[in-house]
Amino acid sequence: MPTSSIVASTDLDRADELRHVLTRRLDEGELDLPLLPHVANQVLTLAHDPNADAGKLATLIQQDQALAAQILRIANSPAYLPRSPIVSLQQAIAWLGLNMLAGIAFSVSLQSGVFKIVGYEREVQLLWRHALATGLYGKEIARRLRHNVENAFLCGLLHTIGKPLILHVLVSDRQRSMRLPWSVLEPLINEFHIPAGVRLAEAWALPDPVQETIRFYQDDRYHEARSPTKGAVITCLADHLATFLLDPAEMEEDALRALPVIRDLNLYPEDLTALLDLADTVRPSVECLIV
Amino acid sequence: MTTAHYDIVVIGSGPAGQKAAIQGAKAGKRVALIEQEFEVGGACVYRGTIPSKTLRESALQMSRFQRTAEVFEFKLRDDVKVASLMSRLDHVVKTHGRLMNDQLTRNGIERFHGRARFATDREVQITTVEGTSLRLRGEVIVIATGSRPRIPESIPVDHEHILDSDSILSLVYLPKSLTVLGGGVIASEYASIFAILGVQVTMIDTADRPLRFLDQELTDEFFAAFYKSGGRYVGGQQIEEVAWDGCSRVVTRLKSGETVLSEKLLVALGRVANVESLDVQAAGLDLTSRGLIPVNHQCQTPVPHIYAVGDVIGPPALASCAMEQGRRAVRHALGLDPGLDPEHIPMGIYTVPEISSVGLSEQEAVGRYGGALVGRAHFHEIARSQISGMTNGVLKLVADPTTERILGVQIVGEGATELIHIGQMALLNRLHVESFVDTIFNFPTLAEAYRVAALDLLQRRPSRSSVISRDGL
Ligand SMILES: Cc1cc2nc3c(=O)[nH]c(=O)nc-3n(C[C@H](O)[C@H](O)[C@H](O)COP(=O)(O)OP(=O)(O)OC[C@H]3O[C@@H](n4cnc5c(N)ncnc54)[C@H](O)[C@@H]3O)c2cc1C
Repeated sequence: MPTSSIVASTDLDRADELRHVLTRRLDEGELDLPLLPHVANQVLTLAHDPNADAGKLATLIQQDQALAAQILRIANSPAYLPRSPIVSLQQAIAWLGLNMLAGIAFSVSLQSGVFKIVGYEREVQLLWRHALATGLYGKEIARRLRHNVENAFLCGLLHTIGKPLILHVLVSDRQRSMRLPWSVLEPLINEFHIPAGVRLAEAWALPDPVQETIRFYQDDRYHEARSPTKGAVITCLADHLATFLLDPAEMEEDALRALPVIRDLNLYPEDLTALLDLADTVRPSVECLIV
Repeated sequence: MTTAHYDIVVIGSGPAGQKAAIQGAKAGKRVALIEQEFEVGGACVYRGTIPSKTLRESALQMSRFQRTAEVFEFKLRDDVKVASLMSRLDHVVKTHGRLMNDQLTRNGIERFHGRARFATDREVQITTVEGTSLRLRGEVIVIATGSRPRIPESIPVDHEHILDSDSILSLVYLPKSLTVLGGGVIASEYASIFAILGVQVTMIDTADRPLRFLDQELTDEFFAAFYKSGGRYVGGQQIEEVAWDGCSRVVTRLKSGETVLSEKLLVALGRVANVESLDVQAAGLDLTSRGLIPVNHQCQTPVPHIYAVGDVIGPPALASCAMEQGRRAVRHALGLDPGLDPEHIPMGIYTVPEISSVGLSEQEAVGRYGGALVGRAHFHEIARSQISGMTNGVLKLVADPTTERILGVQIVGEGATELIHIGQMALLNRLHVESFVDTIFNFPTLAEAYRVAALDLLQRRPSRSSVISRDGL
């Protein structure tokens, strides 16, 4: 997201003030954590329950009108190439698959439930678009490594969950942040989203590999991740690929190819080319997942 | 591009490449070892032997705990996570990888990280992970690039629902049910490991029984244990179609009309040699019709200074044989005596229970000697098996009908892969059956089975004329 370099000095003062507020709140554990929406919570539990079946998920989705409508919309989108129009939820489940559906349901219910941030809808959508692209690329990287792909989507989807959370906190603090431009908020979000995301992940009891990914997915930290699922290092590259896909001005192909994480994942130039060639598959899948 | 010169250039750092390199270095040669992965060790360390055996050991420990829980009045958590099993695996694999690396460094072997391909019959070009290139020239070149899972085009492996033997190692939870396609070593090992972890396992294969190349007495024991732990074998089948139903199950349709549903499916239908990136034609080599590098008994290719060892030359595709081939090939290239007869290399199969064999089977002995003396020890007769509660198993001793010299040993049962080495030593030292009767082993031990089998053999030998004949089998 381009950041304007012209920032009024009063805005800078306010940014400083907000930085202090955020630091204090994080230090004192006073973050106003939103509750994981009921539906997303159940979806997450189901997705990690080896005894779960499609029927339980279908029932859950049917209880939530908005979610059901979104799922039907996504199932009918060109990214999923339905053979014939999807007219029922059961049919959508059969077409998309339980895991994909769980991912969609979780993402949709988070987008529409937790992070409705009035006045910043476009920015929040851009954040989500990036998170979704990261999740989808994460799967492809895992596939390329012949590593089980199941975990990679969730890690990618949630690696920057702290970003909308910080925005949520800033915007709730109305006196200070009202009408603040994005160019002031964005650096604050980037500065604080990891500790905030970690807090949220702990409070929501997200799976361990996801918590570890949030904490360590960045270039200078993924070496610290220990989980054999490789969520953090895969997400690190997936995050860069997502930036390259959605915001090409932010990253040149040469810079992307020179990233140490590519070497650390032992991906050869031809492997990266194959991943970049997937852009036409990932892009439409991202668009159709946006609520 | 500059070219560095070496006496021996080895491509691939699995067991075959490592032993070739170490043998070369020990003979005082300058050796380069090229590996495309970050770490040395090959499929053996990262995707084959070591991880599957670690998973097996953890699964066995869990099942032992479960069995003894009542006696010791404790309860195992119901949701033991695969992640816990896997993190132990990660630890073992990393430690083993480090040991391998140290061994290579200690021997002064120079390591190159990159993907190798032949430029000429003497020169190998390496492309690094960053995309840069360099060349090495070798007086002797050893190809040890190993193998990867064979995936028939008709089976849509997605590493999510339909897995191969690489991606199954990164499962994040235990599936309720697993279909295993194949009846070979890897299929049987994973099928029995997942079965004891409580997964409903169905093995499907074209053969009427798994591990067909083994003595049927051994496979019968394996079969019984597999069924006891809830496994099922569907033999004599052709696959019509495998597909993810898009919902919650993998559907395997058989040509017989039967359909098998499972949460995950493992494709274990053999291995293919890693040759694509090598461009062997540039070295003047052609592949066999099965896509393997052709070699003679000494692992020498038609280009005399190029050798190929390990999985890249095909069966038996075992780490133990790969090591021996690597060592042997380099000794041959350097004009040194190759040593050990490969016939005396044991085979270990880490199913539950383990299976192991060395030397001739009963059938092979009959074929070669016109008959065979056979003695058996059933594990339930052995005190140590009773004590440890592992009474399934049998040790079979095969001897020459005329001289009573030991020709082979086959074992199925826990500890088989360790026990077999006593038999191997007997073969190497050309011992007779009587040696086991005259020898005192520790008591109680599983090794006692050798003595029991030897006594059985001698007891079954009323007179020289009544040895089991070809017709009697
Ligand atoms: C699940 C499983 C279980 C097994 N269990 C056992 C067992 O219990 N006992 C046993 O004896 N055997 C077992 N095996 C078999 C054993 O792992 C193999 O036989 C053994 O690893 C073969 O050794 P290798 O050196 O030929 O090849 P690999 O171990 O496959 O090593 C080859 C190496 O070459 C590298 N390479 C490939 N191409 C290039 C290139 N162009 N440039 C540079 N490097 C390259 C690869 O990255 C790899 O590291 C098992 C295998 C599997 C899959």
